[in-house]
Amino acid sequence: MKPLNFLALLLFIAGLVWVFTLSESSVRHIQKTYYSAISPIISKGGESEAFANDFIKEVEHSKDLEEKLTHSNNDRDRLSLIAARVWALEAENNELRAALNFKKESKFDVVPARVVRRQPQMWGKTIEINRGSEKGLLSSMCVLASNGGLVGRIQLPANEVSSVLLITDEISQVSAKVEGSTEVGLIVGRRTTYGETPRLRLRYLSKNAILHKGMKVYTDGRGDLFPADIPIGTIEDFEVGPVYGEADILPSVDFSNLQTVFVIADSSID
Amino acid sequence: MLLYPVSLIGLLLLSCILQQFLPVVSAWYDARLLILPLVVLCGSATISTAGMLTLAFLGGFLWDAQQILLVDQGDEIVYHSTPDSLKFGYSIILYTLMGFLMQGVRPIFQAGKWYLSAALTGVATFLYLFSEYLLRGFIIGGFSLDNGMVEQIGATSILTMLASPLIFWLLFRIADLCGHTITFQKH
Repeated sequence: MKPLNFLALLLFIAGLVWVFTLSESSVRHIQKTYYSAISPIISKGGESEAFANDFIKEVEHSKDLEEKLTHSNNDRDRLSLIAARVWALEAENNELRAALNFKKESKFDVVPARVVRRQPQMWGKTIEINRGSEKGLLSSMCVLASNGGLVGRIQLPANEVSSVLLITDEISQVSAKVEGSTEVGLIVGRRTTYGETPRLRLRYLSKNAILHKGMKVYTDGRGDLFPADIPIGTIEDFEVGPVYGEADILPSVDFSNLQTVFVIADSSID
Repeated sequence: MLLYPVSLIGLLLLSCILQQFLPVVSAWYDARLLILPLVVLCGSATISTAGMLTLAFLGGFLWDAQQILLVDQGDEIVYHSTPDSLKFGYSIILYTLMGFLMQGVRPIFQAGKWYLSAALTGVATFLYLFSEYLLRGFIIGGFSLDNGMVEQIGATSILTMLASPLIFWLLFRIADLCGHTITFQKH
């Protein structure tokens, strides 16, 4: 072995030992420094992602339009387009109205934020929002959707953007209760592939729990992470295991269509 | 002598920035172009083992700084089962293994057959992602291998591989500017 390669190998091993013995706080510090450094780029990156998605939608829309043209007359198509545009505007209007009402009616002090990037990670389920420590956002703050459903919590706040860990991620845990019962458990994310509807799993339920499809699941406020009574989802299925019972949960939030979210900026959680 | 390796590190940092601009191709298995790993893989074929180790270390370090998820845990009585996550630095090892794979065909690459190395970047990316997926399954639990996952990994590997000629071209240009010899034959 060449002396230079041997030296490099020694340094490499020393570097590996250093990295693998880093404390969790050191790793957080490294990640925060890195995230703060790239945060000005993230907003721009989000714009490029939005542009690409719009382009793909436009292409798909063009194909649909072509098919329609072969089967119907031009006037009807034009009117359909206008109607579609009106519907889109109406839907957007409804969403913005809901968001505005949510902010007004919310019992929390919330900071509205726009989702600038979806799926920034290969495996992890996170989103990036356009609000950060400049607006008072801190790590672990709770994030809600405009329908009031639980989205996740802040993982890394930078100055102008923040990374949000979704409750659908496998390492996310939320203490939850089932409406109309005394059952409490922990909500964890389930691994899903592209195109699949994100699912949650409610673990550590009692074996003899009487749970039915459609029962609502809320945060229970225990554990100092999430306020109580935030909707999480509804029960789809309940299974009894050897020790505990587990339930499949359909989230109350449409994670594929998140545009505006609200961060609970209260410093203390009731 | 050091100008080319230093330029490669500069390119690696640049790829970190560029990675933020590359969207997910939601219309094709949620594939994505992994430019940072690609720079490590392509760069590994053009430098010595010592340089490759440096590149893999930096690349893995930066990648984990971006990808590793750490969460604050609440009250231990309620959150009694702490979720495991991958250890910071695991990507360094995976990048090094893929770097050695690229170095394995370096003699062919130096003979001017860069396209074989370009194809190998796709294989290496697939192996890297698949290993990462298996590691996640092993540590976090709930291993499952379905078609969707293989398609997503495959599509990402193909997309990344398709960009490799561009990176190789860039590396050749940088090498020319730095006076670094990549191939034995004049191309």
